[in-house]
Amino acid sequence: MFEALESTTLAAWVGESLWAYPGLLSVHIIGLAIVVGLFSMRDLRLLGLFPEIDTKLFLSLNKIAAIGFVINAVSGFMLFSSQASIFVQSTPFLIKMGAIVVGMVLAGIIHFRLGSGIANHVTSGTKLVAAFSLLSWLSAIAAGRLIAYL
Amino acid sequence: MLDALAQAFLGSPLNEWIQATYWLWPVMEITHFIGLTLLMGGLLIVDLRLLGLFPSVKLTATHKVLPLVLLGFTLNLITGILFFIGDPMRYSVNVGFQIKMLLVLVAGANAFLFHSRYWLDSQSSLSMALNRVDERIVAGLSLCLWTCVLLLGRLIPYVSTG
Repeated sequence: MFEALESTTLAAWVGESLWAYPGLLSVHIIGLAIVVGLFSMRDLRLLGLFPEIDTKLFLSLNKIAAIGFVINAVSGFMLFSSQASIFVQSTPFLIKMGAIVVGMVLAGIIHFRLGSGIANHVTSGTKLVAAFSLLSWLSAIAAGRLIAYL
Repeated sequence: MLDALAQAFLGSPLNEWIQATYWLWPVMEITHFIGLTLLMGGLLIVDLRLLGLFPSVKLTATHKVLPLVLLGFTLNLITGILFFIGDPMRYSVNVGFQIKMLLVLVAGANAFLFHSRYWLDSQSSLSMALNRVDERIVAGLSLCLWTCVLLLGRLIPYVSTG
């Protein structure tokens, strides 16, 4: 299955074009900055930093985070396609994917809690979710960087 | 100038220690990524607000994230200097690195000039409020410049000498 993906035209283009791979990596880091940047600000706010900012702000910012996520899902899939069979055997890659799934599920939970709760009243349950969310995104970044090393 | 700096660092104790410590480079890279995340995450909130999004949030409230932006910048300044000392000949001649540094200076000047004017304004009883057009230009420029800094940084391994 992964070999089949590697033999597609898309994968061949990513692997062979001089600029595709570095170009996609560059796009990927912009997406990372948007998604993890906004989610980490949200989590830090929920954990008690800058209480002056209305928690409902992060409901609006989620639309921008979603754009970043789509950018990275597409660029990430394209990068993955060129070396799929190698990536699926990379432990840091698998940890990164797991951390992203956890981070997105927690983002959904936080979104629901912010939407249904009283503005600026952060329950201890929401704080706990925010702490795990922050941890999962930091893990995703660390594991992603380690793909090149392990 | 970069050449002279690179020559000065080459073979220095710090240069040799960074080269010899195998786990240090990936740890510095992870820190550099976390730093850029704090920097961009905070700036998105500040600059998008200045550009006119979510007008119900107070401008002064969004400015509370600026310490985190500065923290991210400081983390990246420190790890960045260590990258340069660790592998000076690679960075000094790299055109991606050179343009990136130039843009960091421009982006830094843009932020510094804006915030010093903003601060002066908040301290003064005379109203010399920045007009909205000014604010939008500064904020738009800030997001564009930092985006280019990220792009260029990621391209450093793929571009050659300049």
